Amino acid sequence: MIQFFHVSKRYPSGQSALEDVTFDIPRGQFVFLTGASGAGKTTLLRLIFREEVPTSGQILVNGRNVSSIPQSKIPYLRRTIGVVFQDFRLIPRKTVFENVTHLPRLLGVDVQGQKRMAYHALRRVGLAHRLNAFPPELSGGEQQRVAIARALINEPEILIADEPTGNLDPDLSREILRLFLEVNLRGTTVILATHDRDTIQRVGRRVITLDRGSVALDQELVGTDPPSLDPSLAMTADPEAGDAAETPEPESQGEEDCSFSKPCVISSTRRR
Amino acid sequence: MNLLRSWKVSLLAVLTIAVSLFIGGAFLLVSGNLSASLERWRGQMRAVIYLKPETSEADLRRLAAEAVRQPGVTAVQPVTAAGARKRFQEIFPGLADLVTGWQDEPLPASLEVGFDPAASPKARAAWLEGWRHRPEVTLVDDDREWLGQLETVVAVVRAVGLALVAGLLGAAIFTIASVIRLTAYLHHEEISILRLVGSTEFFIRGPFYVEGLLQGLLGGLVASGALWGAYEFLHARGRGSLVSAVLALDFLKLQDVAFLVLLGGAAGLFGAIASLRREAL
Repeated sequence: MIQFFHVSKRYPSGQSALEDVTFDIPRGQFVFLTGASGAGKTTLLRLIFREEVPTSGQILVNGRNVSSIPQSKIPYLRRTIGVVFQDFRLIPRKTVFENVTHLPRLLGVDVQGQKRMAYHALRRVGLAHRLNAFPPELSGGEQQRVAIARALINEPEILIADEPTGNLDPDLSREILRLFLEVNLRGTTVILATHDRDTIQRVGRRVITLDRGSVALDQELVGTDPPSLDPSLAMTADPEAGDAAETPEPESQGEEDCSFSKPCVISSTRRR
Repeated sequence: MNLLRSWKVSLLAVLTIAVSLFIGGAFLLVSGNLSASLERWRGQMRAVIYLKPETSEADLRRLAAEAVRQPGVTAVQPVTAAGARKRFQEIFPGLADLVTGWQDEPLPASLEVGFDPAASPKARAAWLEGWRHRPEVTLVDDDREWLGQLETVVAVVRAVGLALVAGLLGAAIFTIASVIRLTAYLHHEEISILRLVGSTEFFIRGPFYVEGLLQGLLGGLVASGALWGAYEFLHARGRGSLVSAVLALDFLKLQDVAFLVLLGGAAGLFGAIASLRREAL
């Protein structure tokens, strides 16, 4: 799904952000990306959605070489990747609904369809009742959840989160982490950058540790205290099917067969 | 949307383009009316062929008959020497004594020739040149000379207007480009978010192009409205005066007004494109 081949990134100032990074993340995997501040986590994530271009090496995302795709194709790559930032990056003068439905609007989904998709995405993060609020009216945790809803609205193949819980209190952090795990259970490849070692130890999963731009460690961890997943956060198979406000969420399939220490067999439907 | 949000800077851009187009439109109006007057006068253009004193009345009629056969000549009025004197006395009664008491008629006989305005000016000039060299003729007075001078004046007015409009439009484009660059800068964060969620460049830049286009079109409309107001004012104040008759006889044609508005729109769009080409959003 995501393959890095001897990727290096050096900024014009001469500072090296990544040095000969090679790894392969298969489809549907949950990966923690960790390392000290300045280790290159953010640069690595930015390379995946072509916010940065590698100085050398190749990056394949879903079979496409993102380091060489033309400028005009970048938006189409990004539509398959949901991105969540530590600082939320919401548009303050737009409502939650407008912030969340940007991509469906871009794809020509009609207003009714946008409403359904927004409702489902926001319900997953517990904010369906704040549809018409503006970001400045929301708490930090709520803003982060809106950002996650925006990233998830189009059922992306990949979800990238850069320190998504860095600004949140521990309870909210756990809630959001649980949400990412739920998303992963549905088949989305999740890469979560964090320097919170406690969370990583508790949850487990694959952990790629960066140190001064190089992969220092790439290991599978078994979680010491993995969170129990809340089924009410699981998404419907087709968010556009029926009236979102009245249709109860169907039970997600396959979740019972999953545990954090062994691979999951997931039956999911995905909007592409 | 941006037009409403940052209405003060947008107003500046609209007014700059409106001033440029108002001045351009004023020059268009003046030169258009001058040209129309010129055409009107050209339609009434005539030449006077003055004959030698010894030309008899029979010769005068023969020459008139000959002249009227020329293609492009619409009318020939033979004026005898006595007839010329009488007309002078009628037109200038105070100077009537000047032409009385002479042994011979003081004013020459002449042929007053009217031309078809559609006829070839070259053929007309060649024909008049032929008359100039005939033994019966002393002088050929052609209206073309002063009409030619007036045409030069119109051309100068047009050239000055064009140069002025080009300069002012340049300034207006620069203003619009600056306003749009400023707006883009103010929304830099929003634009980067739009890019991250997969917006195409057209989706991001499109609203800025529309903003420039709207500012330009609005400027064109304001200029046309102001021009019409100024025309109405001058027309009402100077009714019957020479200036009003020559310079502000008719308002701009609908296609000229449309041209001004579209020129404003084009300038606005060009400003937007130029500003976003230079500035990486």
